[in-house]
Amino acid sequence: MLVFAASDKGGTGRSVTSANLAYHRALAGDDVCYLDFDFGSPTAAAVFDVPDARQAAEDRGLHSYLVGDVGEPVRIDVWSDTEHRVLRNRPPGSGRLVLMPGDLSGGEFATTEDNLRRCVDLLLRLNSEFDLIVVDLSAGRSYAVDMVLEATSQREMRGVEFRWLVFHRWTRQHVAAAASLVFGKRGIVAGGVARGHEEEALRSVIRFVRAAVPDPESALWSQVSATQSAWMRECDRDLKQLASSHGIGYSLVLGSVPLEPVLQWREQLITDEDVLDSQIANRETWEALSELAGRLTDDKYWEQA
Amino acid sequence: MGTPGWSARPVLACGEVRTCLLPSFQALDGRAAAQLLRLRADEPVRVSERPNLYALSPDVLTGVDCRLPTSNGAKVRAVGTVAARAALTEGRVLQATACFSAPATGPDTRRPWGHYLVRPGLVEPFGKLPEQAAAEGVLRGGERGELDLGMIAESLLAQLLRHPLLDHKPPFKSRRTHLRWAARRAPRGEGPSLERFTLAEDGLRTVELRLPEETPAAAAAGLCEDLALHDWLLTTVVHMLDNSRLGAVDGPSAVLALRPAVDHLLHLWMPRAHVDRTLGHLWDVLEREPGFTRQWQTLVQRIRDQLAVQAIPLLHEALSSTR
Repeated sequence: MLVFAASDKGGTGRSVTSANLAYHRALAGDDVCYLDFDFGSPTAAAVFDVPDARQAAEDRGLHSYLVGDVGEPVRIDVWSDTEHRVLRNRPPGSGRLVLMPGDLSGGEFATTEDNLRRCVDLLLRLNSEFDLIVVDLSAGRSYAVDMVLEATSQREMRGVEFRWLVFHRWTRQHVAAAASLVFGKRGIVAGGVARGHEEEALRSVIRFVRAAVPDPESALWSQVSATQSAWMRECDRDLKQLASSHGIGYSLVLGSVPLEPVLQWREQLITDEDVLDSQIANRETWEALSELAGRLTDDKYWEQA
Repeated sequence: MGTPGWSARPVLACGEVRTCLLPSFQALDGRAAAQLLRLRADEPVRVSERPNLYALSPDVLTGVDCRLPTSNGAKVRAVGTVAARAALTEGRVLQATACFSAPATGPDTRRPWGHYLVRPGLVEPFGKLPEQAAAEGVLRGGERGELDLGMIAESLLAQLLRHPLLDHKPPFKSRRTHLRWAARRAPRGEGPSLERFTLAEDGLRTVELRLPEETPAAAAAGLCEDLALHDWLLTTVVHMLDNSRLGAVDGPSAVLALRPAVDHLLHLWMPRAHVDRTLGHLWDVLEREPGFTRQWQTLVQRIRDQLAVQAIPLLHEALSSTR
């Protein structure tokens, strides 16, 4: 299955959350491939802690592949190439975890007939090899978004299952922007329909993920005053209302990831060691990510809303 | 014909085979296989049904004018055509091969294209061919700007995978393998030999051969496709067994994970089925060491034993309920 990770703006935790989802699925035994289609600012190398990826992707990354400079994009085996102390010990029973980095120098580019074909070839090929393919797309209605909308509308891709995750932060601005990214006049749905997707079908494979959501009940805020606490609850309630009035209410939400101090400080994978041994990360974050990873392929969460 | 002292008789043949599961829910029958592999209107697909269903496409040519990969850094420009073809075994395993042969020496200037077109699959070096360095270069893989057989095989494979016959719902996920081969001319009077077979990382395998002058490159390609097919079967079933966590998890789930092997792979083992008669015995080398068929039989036995063990409680249940 293909999972496209999109977001209205930068800084929504899209890359770091989708990378964590990929990691969780690999832990659970799936063969997972993570594609960095964030052509403006590739970050996956940092998240997976594979400095070699930066070197390797100098001119052999996804961008070079799509424009036809190289025959195959470079692949990085995260378990064996990471410098992360915990990730290096691949747990028994885990699946493959492969990163295809973007190019350091690669910017945005227009979708031509040729790079579209290469994109389709790559997705078809990965689909026959991996259980899950996570495609991290640059923010907004980027070329990357257009390209995968176009690619998934091709006849060859008809048999390939795909889903969209739209990440947004839990603020008024982000909620409105995420809704417009999907349902707006120039949104993903409209763009998809213009490329031949059937509207109902496309809508039914899009879900939202709320990232960095402060939970007023969390221990993190146990020290705030009663007034502050009441204000936070009220905001939270208002936001829920706002989200549902924008058409991205509860039934379209695949899950939320709580505000996690570790992720605020550094884009990284949260390992069980971070939660259990060093305890720098919150257990809730680990559980939310694990739950979200499970729901990616759980059809119960993808029935018609 | 041509320059004195220069002969077009090849001293080196090289190729790369890419092997993958056909991404289709059902295996293709002979007719559909022929439809898939119809790469040219002017030449038919060869389909044979005995001893197993096997379809082979006609060759398609790619014109090349670039440096040959060499292990010693020698810069050798070469011009000619690379032949590519595809094969489908039992409607299930798809392979694409790109290969060429090269003579010991070539002219110092580029000829008109007509010259190369009448020598399909022949790539001529400018001047003398550094045989060993070029063979090693191909096995190691080309750098950017050098002849890249893998890329030619890959683009043929990609073209086939876009065919409307395929639904891209493979019954299980599997990795591709790449097998690169190089065949140098055997010393006069000696028969063909398989010098080395190696497993490298990332699904790469290499084969070194020595072949007598009269062995055509297509026969070598056929042998290497057969080796690649069986190596892919071993690789794929081993991976499946690893992933199934047999012995670590209880109950039918581990065995269910092996079901695709039973449904789609176990009947495909048939070394030498479509190998040129003069080369079939090269398999013996691999049967002795590392013992391809020996490993396969062990894997198959292990899967069947597991199925049998899982069936016992069911049988028990069925018997006690009828009482």
